[in-house]
Amino acid sequence: MPVSPAAQMLLDRRGLLSQSATALGGMALAHLLRRDGLLAGEPERDDERTPIRPKIDPANPNNRREPHFPAKAKQVLMIFNAGACSHLDTFDYKPELIARHGEPLPGGEKLVTFQGAQGALTKSPWGFHPRGECGKMISDLVPRLGALADDLCFIHSLTGKTNTHGPGENFMNTGFTLDGFPSVGAWTTYALGSENENLPAFVAIPDPRGAPQSSGNCWNPGFLPAAFQGTDFNATRPVRNLARPQAIQAATDLATREFIGRLNRHHLGRFPGDSELAARISSYELAARMQLSVPEVSDLSSEPQHVLQAYGADAVGDGTQQTKAGYARNCILARRLLEQGVRFVQLFNGAYQVGGEGTSNWDGHKILEKQYTIHGEIFDQPTAALLADLKQRGLLQHTLVVWCTEFGRMPTFQAGANGRDHNPSGFTGWLAGAGVRAPFSYGATDDFGYRAVENIATVYDFHATILHLLGLNHERLSYYHNGIERRLTDVHGHVIHDVVV
Amino acid sequence: MPVCSLLGWAGRSLQGAEVDYNRDVKPLLQQHCTGCHGVKRQRGDLRLDSRAALLKGGSRGPAVVAGKSAESRLIQAVTQEDPEIAMPPEGEPLSAEAIQVLRDWIDQGAQGPADEVVGRRELPWSFRPVQRPELPSSPASIDALLEAQRARQDLAGLGFSSEADRVTQIRRLYLVMHGLPPTPAEVEEFRQDTLPGAYERLVERVLASPRYGERWARHWLDIARFAESNGFETNRVRANAWPYRDYVIEAFNIDKPYDQFVREQVAGDALRADAGTGFLVAGAYDLVKSPDINLSLMQRQDELADIINTTGTAFLGLTLGCARCHDHKFDPVSQRDYYAMQGVFAGVNFAPRPLPRERSQQSDEEVARLGKQVRQQEERLAALRARAAGNPDPAGKLRPAVNARRNEDTFPPVTATAVRFTIRATNASEPCLDELEVFDTSGKNVALASAGAKPSANGTLPGYEIHKLEHLNDGQVGNNRSWISNTAGKGWVRIDFPSPVTISRVVWGRDRNQQFGDRVATDYTLEVLLEGETWREVSSSADRAPFGPEDPKAFLKRLNQEEATEAGRLLDQVADAHRRIGELTGGFSAWLGTFSQPQEVHRLHRGDHTLPREVVHPGGLEVFGDLAMSPDEPEQQRRLKLANWLASRDNPLTPRVMVNRIWHYIFGTGLVETPSDFGGNGVPPTHPELLDWLADEFVHSGWSVKHVQRLILSTRAFRQSSAPRPEGLRADAASSLLWRYPPRRLEAEAIRDCILASSGVLDVSMGGPGFFLQKVEVDNVYRYFPKEEFGPPEFRRMVYLNRIRQEQDPVFGSFDCPSGNQVTPKRARSNTPLQALNLFNSPFILQQAGFLAQRLRKEVGEETAEQVRLAFQLTVARRPDEFELEASQQMIREHGLEAFCRALFNTSEFLFLF
Repeated sequence: MPVSPAAQMLLDRRGLLSQSATALGGMALAHLLRRDGLLAGEPERDDERTPIRPKIDPANPNNRREPHFPAKAKQVLMIFNAGACSHLDTFDYKPELIARHGEPLPGGEKLVTFQGAQGALTKSPWGFHPRGECGKMISDLVPRLGALADDLCFIHSLTGKTNTHGPGENFMNTGFTLDGFPSVGAWTTYALGSENENLPAFVAIPDPRGAPQSSGNCWNPGFLPAAFQGTDFNATRPVRNLARPQAIQAATDLATREFIGRLNRHHLGRFPGDSELAARISSYELAARMQLSVPEVSDLSSEPQHVLQAYGADAVGDGTQQTKAGYARNCILARRLLEQGVRFVQLFNGAYQVGGEGTSNWDGHKILEKQYTIHGEIFDQPTAALLADLKQRGLLQHTLVVWCTEFGRMPTFQAGANGRDHNPSGFTGWLAGAGVRAPFSYGATDDFGYRAVENIATVYDFHATILHLLGLNHERLSYYHNGIERRLTDVHGHVIHDVVV
Repeated sequence: MPVCSLLGWAGRSLQGAEVDYNRDVKPLLQQHCTGCHGVKRQRGDLRLDSRAALLKGGSRGPAVVAGKSAESRLIQAVTQEDPEIAMPPEGEPLSAEAIQVLRDWIDQGAQGPADEVVGRRELPWSFRPVQRPELPSSPASIDALLEAQRARQDLAGLGFSSEADRVTQIRRLYLVMHGLPPTPAEVEEFRQDTLPGAYERLVERVLASPRYGERWARHWLDIARFAESNGFETNRVRANAWPYRDYVIEAFNIDKPYDQFVREQVAGDALRADAGTGFLVAGAYDLVKSPDINLSLMQRQDELADIINTTGTAFLGLTLGCARCHDHKFDPVSQRDYYAMQGVFAGVNFAPRPLPRERSQQSDEEVARLGKQVRQQEERLAALRARAAGNPDPAGKLRPAVNARRNEDTFPPVTATAVRFTIRATNASEPCLDELEVFDTSGKNVALASAGAKPSANGTLPGYEIHKLEHLNDGQVGNNRSWISNTAGKGWVRIDFPSPVTISRVVWGRDRNQQFGDRVATDYTLEVLLEGETWREVSSSADRAPFGPEDPKAFLKRLNQEEATEAGRLLDQVADAHRRIGELTGGFSAWLGTFSQPQEVHRLHRGDHTLPREVVHPGGLEVFGDLAMSPDEPEQQRRLKLANWLASRDNPLTPRVMVNRIWHYIFGTGLVETPSDFGGNGVPPTHPELLDWLADEFVHSGWSVKHVQRLILSTRAFRQSSAPRPEGLRADAASSLLWRYPPRRLEAEAIRDCILASSGVLDVSMGGPGFFLQKVEVDNVYRYFPKEEFGPPEFRRMVYLNRIRQEQDPVFGSFDCPSGNQVTPKRARSNTPLQALNLFNSPFILQQAGFLAQRLRKEVGEETAEQVRLAFQLTVARRPDEFELEASQQMIREHGLEAFCRALFNTSEFLFLF
């Protein structure tokens, strides 16, 4: 969209910065930042505990910002398996569980978990085999991911604070079990902005079956400014209100935008130096650029057949195969977004509960084998292809890949059922890519996979480590809200240095 | 330690030498003790920083008994004879010499100066009494205090900007006070009103409009974290929460005294203002319950924390939640205070409560008459049911299936000393009974605890205040007063009568309030204990139809035609009467919370529910004194006493916090920039004197919000221009010294309301259930899909939007619209590309642009210049200038009126307040 030279100078980033150098513009900017709580003010002392609030340019809030210290990773892909994916049927190999299949869980006689009483210890329906050069034991449910074991860094000793899905999803995605706190992606973009100002800095890609159980809370900005909200779209559902409405002719659309620009600049003449008004004008220009770049990045038609095949995006057949193809296309979309420099991509596998427990996500309470056979088929190939593709294209060198879920599951089957109940006492997540030590396994659960016993890690530690890899100090990155200097990790968390190269 | 006191000991090591309190004793205590037992902390409720405090002691009694060192706990502690009280807990013990000094001082009579100054922790500014500068009750006083502050910062020269033009003034006033634009007629009237007092008259009109309450209620609802779904994964619609929203709107519209407004939100049930307590339970609520006791306890702690945090934030501007795990780092709020507050709210349950209406003598009489009629008709129906039960079903059919709400078992009269209800299966989980009623042949419920009957059971699901055995026969129904077995699918309950009674009917249900449909006993036996200690089965589920929907008229089939007609008529009449009684007494069950007497509250070490420590009695913040609550204070009294303190004239925080909120919403920034943190971590006021002047004015006006607003709106500060002045920006870019009126972007709700008002379709009907901007798919977990088409139901003001947690409105949610999950005392004001896309391309905007175009054509015809003039007046309240007129006409000529209207809704001026 053409703009007048004057507006161009005002809105151009360098223009704004040079304008900011003048006392007047600079102070107006400072005012705006301060008002939105985005400027920490000059810290009285820059010690290791002073909160750091990034300085946000209101006209372009997702401008790239420097990390607190040199970063290993610049971008993040966070894969979330909704429904609580069982560590015992995927990545946490427990020979003792196999050996004592059918026996009671020692000390578990009176155990009451989320849905009630427990039955006997039950081995996974899937066998485990050594994978990769490293020989890591991974189950037959996820063989293709298993084949990439040499690139993965497992944390087997994660522990959560809740055993219900909503709070569990909140906890893993926002650091709080309650609704309404900023998501990891919102914190990341708040801290670092984006590498590509023509695309949203933070994209959430919901599963083809629908949103996760905590829905928008997984990518909401919470109390952070709306600029840091995740934009949700996937390979089949575009960004809402992005496209020119059908009823409007292209020429009219363009003319309307130009007309808005003319009125706005004319009006700005009465409020010279007002950064909030300048930011408003700038937001329309960013929107126009997004209208071009988002459809481009979402258009998979240029992907060659062998890529579609590798991801499983060409899968045809029953509902499972259709879902797999949809998820595979989301995986390709994730790669394309990362290629374009999107800071944070959140990819969901599994949706809210629909069609009964565990059919649309990993919540395998009653008939785990049947459900997981479907979910494994949908999840394994596309995810593995995505990881391999990122590696092959060199993106893993600066992209951190995080795989996680709300919590783990019990080593026992539920009394009177053929599935596992919720278990936040010990579960697995993994990391791959930039700055991550791999192959490596950190921490361990007990012999049966019930409780974390070695190098016990919290979700706070997990988050602290993610921020650390991004060059951010989790104890200092903060935002003042309602009387409290808020952090992703609340008042907790230790970086797990062992998993960092 | 001062050298002299060291010398003092050295020179006086002989036993019996005279000890001086100030010289010898106090330094010792300061060195070893007062860190934990002094100004900042009072471990064990004990202070050791004054002679009086030593004699008074702490929770274990006096520390010092004058003249008797051996009996003094201070000595017992420092000699570490008793490991229980050995002091200090860490580090080196006191030296023998030091202990001797203390012994000597005590044995010599524990003398000390009478005028000892006791250290007091300095209170944050906001905890100190309000001090009003002596200035009269007038807008000019506000301006004077603003000028004084500028002068104090050597910026007197900035002055105020010139008065804004009249159109700017009226648009600003309407947007700030109504969140809607003035109509062209209102603008014209004000422009032409040249008589003195025109502006003041305008302010009065604005304050008297019901649109005012809607606008200001929306602000308060941000603070009350109000939304109309439960949140978390189930996120069900809370369709009965709107009475609280209407209550808030009315409170602003009628200028309800703020102290009363505060009291009613904490204890409205005690003040005939039931809807007020919607405040307590307006937050998110996790509906997913589990037999896992740890989960239940954690959920309950989170629920109570939400209530305490919100109360502290909303009324006191304090972050009380910080003290859940430890003493507050910045404010004089201890962890003990937090749990004392928890004791106040521990009886609040997240549940609906019948909302009583205002009653008259006439309505009471009608209710009484209907009640009598229903009782007679129910008696006759019972007889008919009994007869039907004795008759064979002509179709060989079974009794109606059990239902979750209410079931009857009738049987031939039998004299019994107890009944037993044995459950062998449920439709889901452990069985639940909300009440078991046993009727004698005269129709009296003999199972009531108040009649002396005693309940027993196989066991009760542990850890739930709302599910207890005693709820089985307490005469109260509903899930929150129910019993749940501790065994999945099974259980029994028994009721023993004080003496044998002749009974013929048992009524039971799972939830007579019809909220829950799980835990229903589907396979059961009912037995009576005969005199002679033998059990006889009198009824069971064996002859019932399989569990499913209920047909209340099923028993008619077993009656002859005459009786069946009578029973059918009676059933209809009873249903009508119930409906009418409901209308008269307000049977509507609203989301206002229920209340029950709480159990003891313990302080939780680090806020961890698995680490309970000492019992804490209910109370308020210790720093403000005692609220005189007994340990077993009745539940409602706890909240009422706290409410009375919150709203008392002596509370310096409550009025300061509220006048600051008013200022914040009028000028965009508060005098205290952190409207919900008046504590040590907040930002101190830019104009402390002005804040106190307003607070005092507020209290002395009878806590009138409108009075304070009237004063502020008539100031030069409010009426001045918003145009920037270079010297102003240079000296004070934030405009916090108010040398101009600070411009800013409007909030989501105001933008949407302004669009509807401009296009002419705004529906200003008030109150009642709200509207949705999402299609709702009802399941265990609710799902929401944005509407793409909008009609009149969606054209109400956005304060009536049924706001769904986690699911923001797809057009306006992106304008920093709070989700209602956390308290939002101050909204961010982002300008993002998503906002631009939503305002430019959404079906809503295109539709509204169409409506505006229609309106323009209808009101001024096809002449483009007139269309442009009216369009500007409708959207930005002013006439276009030459440039705008020309450009707009060209736009209309080339691309049509609709395209022009779409553009206007996207202009900065339309979206901003100046």
